[in-house]
Amino acid sequence: MKRFRTAVAAGLLTATALTACAPGGDSADEEGPIKVGMIADLSGPTSDVGSRYHKGMLGYVKWLNGEGGVDGREIEALAEDYAYDVPTAERLYKKFVNEGAVAIQGWGTGDTEALSSKITADHLPFMSASYAEELTDPGKTPYNFVVAPTYSDQMRVALNWIAEDGGGKADVAFFHNDSPFGLAPLDDARTWIDEKGLEVDLEAYPMPAGAANYVGLLSQAKSQGAKYIVIQNVSSPAAQVAKDIAAQNLDMKIVCLNWCADELFIETAGKAAEGHVLVQPWAPANSGVEGHAVIDEFLKGEGSSLAEEGLHYAQGWYTMHAMVEGVRGAIEEEDLSGEAIKDALENAGSIDTGGAIGDGAIEFTADSHRGSSATGIYEVKKGEMTALETGVAPE
Amino acid sequence: MSALSTGTYFTSYRREWALRRTRAEYLRLGLIVVGLAVLPYSIDFYWLSIVNMILIAVIGAVGLNILIGYTGQISLGQGGFLAVGAFSSALLYQRAELPAPISIACAVVITAAVGAFFGLPALRLKGLYLAIATLASQEIIVFVARRWEFLRDGSAPLTVDRLHIGGFEITRELFEWQWYWILLGCAALSVLAARNLLRSPVGRSFMAVRDQDIAASAIGVNVTRAKVTAFAVSSGFVGFAGALLAHYTETVTWESFTLQVSIVYVAMVIVGGLGSVAGAVYGAIFMSLVPVLLTEFLVPVAGAVDWVSESLPAIENAVFGLVIIGFLLFEPRGLDRLWQRSKDYFRFWPFRY
Repeated sequence: MKRFRTAVAAGLLTATALTACAPGGDSADEEGPIKVGMIADLSGPTSDVGSRYHKGMLGYVKWLNGEGGVDGREIEALAEDYAYDVPTAERLYKKFVNEGAVAIQGWGTGDTEALSSKITADHLPFMSASYAEELTDPGKTPYNFVVAPTYSDQMRVALNWIAEDGGGKADVAFFHNDSPFGLAPLDDARTWIDEKGLEVDLEAYPMPAGAANYVGLLSQAKSQGAKYIVIQNVSSPAAQVAKDIAAQNLDMKIVCLNWCADELFIETAGKAAEGHVLVQPWAPANSGVEGHAVIDEFLKGEGSSLAEEGLHYAQGWYTMHAMVEGVRGAIEEEDLSGEAIKDALENAGSIDTGGAIGDGAIEFTADSHRGSSATGIYEVKKGEMTALETGVAPE
Repeated sequence: MSALSTGTYFTSYRREWALRRTRAEYLRLGLIVVGLAVLPYSIDFYWLSIVNMILIAVIGAVGLNILIGYTGQISLGQGGFLAVGAFSSALLYQRAELPAPISIACAVVITAAVGAFFGLPALRLKGLYLAIATLASQEIIVFVARRWEFLRDGSAPLTVDRLHIGGFEITRELFEWQWYWILLGCAALSVLAARNLLRSPVGRSFMAVRDQDIAASAIGVNVTRAKVTAFAVSSGFVGFAGALLAHYTETVTWESFTLQVSIVYVAMVIVGGLGSVAGAVYGAIFMSLVPVLLTEFLVPVAGAVDWVSESLPAIENAVFGLVIIGFLLFEPRGLDRLWQRSKDYFRFWPFRY
């Protein structure tokens, strides 16, 4: 026992001695490529849309570097798959910080929320494909930037449309991914219905992950009397819901928000997609907006086209574009720190996307990190996204 | 013990009680201590963050091994118990503003109580049936964590303030480095506690229950008490790991405690070696490190070969799975047994045994 005590004492002594000589931190490089970390879902439950979005980001980086980069410096993408797993995202974040990333592009709502306190402490600007409303308040999450209309805004637009389309009372089933991503717009939706006095009866149903079909959920929705199904999930499960509705011969209309409102939903559901409604702030590949020209030209060189890659490619492209505009502003100030990029983004004015998003531009201010608020409403006609309305802001 | 000696003999009781009995064991301990002291100076902060996660996993795996390896009660509820520890410590620290060590200690007690409660089905169920019962506990706990708004900050996940104990606060610059020493101390304490527990009468009763519960009760072991105690003790360790995880990651969300986490922990215990504290440590290191190393190794390959880069995540998962299957085929008793065998090989050389 005595020997044990000596060992413990010796251990404690060394530990104290070691604490006294702590290692020093590294500082960021002044020259060389500008590193941006990317946390992507390439193999997880949201990988169907995640891999397209990620390809768009990498495409933009390749295109930009081909054009000479930012002020002669190339962008280096530190990209890795995290399979929609929060602990892996935390690990990758640390890896990217350690490798000297000046900004981070994330993906899901869960990991973005989990990392938001860390990026605030580390002063690293963070954009993600999560458009949860609470990330837009710089008072709470000063380093999160949301480029697109929030899920709540999209939901508000969807509810307004449903209230109008339903003419009178409408029963709505809200099918959502069973995660922070899926739940993000729910509370705001309820508040909106009360505030605007919409004649909408909303019930929420979590979609079980990995379900073979959603017949059970649909029969619950049917007994609620739902005529509209708002889906906050990715394309593949949403397409399954469309197929189930067709197979069960139900009189229901799907209203997809952002992550299932795309060409992939139409491809996967096939004929069953006809007549359903898609709320999508990003212009679809067939819209021919001016901002898509540059992407199409780049993709032609790669032996592909935007029609093949889908609208999430353009979404990734312009999200990366917004971040790079911040980096550019910071370089002009000759200070490539997280604070400088944040300031540059807040003072960049309107960042043009050539109509690729909402009403065309992304704009941040020091008081609001809500990049844009207008969204488009599309209907599936003959396998194409046909615009019903564009540039709709929630009112 | 050399090849020619017939056993390890002692001339005093104290020598026999010692955790380490031979000179070689002390030598190895010394090497490990030196290695652990040098480690944070020889790797960068990213790798140190992986080491920190391993240290937390070590505590959790040692706890689970007490249950699965020593008492023979299979549990798929690890993720849920980690969540209980994480949420209780975070809430006590953040909302009740208790000092960190007290909130962590409370989390250990709370998780032990919850674990004992969810262990009650073990009194009636065995084997696969118990696995399903503990699976239910996992799902129930995570379901509560998902739905109970008290466990969130508004609609954002629960955030935990940077760890401060008395006047000491973790700094941003030395975050990983300072945590390394804290976690190393906690992991060392846990391993030591488990080693000692398992040679006490309580620990022996666990093993008696594992080997033959009827025989155990015939020789006077209170099987009911042993099983419930095993669940409580094991969950206590797991709660400790969960609480440390909460303070270390500074965010607590149910997404970090899914069924997948439970399965990874069971894999740690099996790959490391059932019924061995050292095995749990090896298993935690193996299961945490191999996926990371695989990525490190495969990413440069992916840059060179096109088809690899397109399906990189799938290849990683497949290779990881194959490595585990390979290990289990080659040595079903885990990494610990592998270590014992390689020691024997050198000890008995040039003889086979």
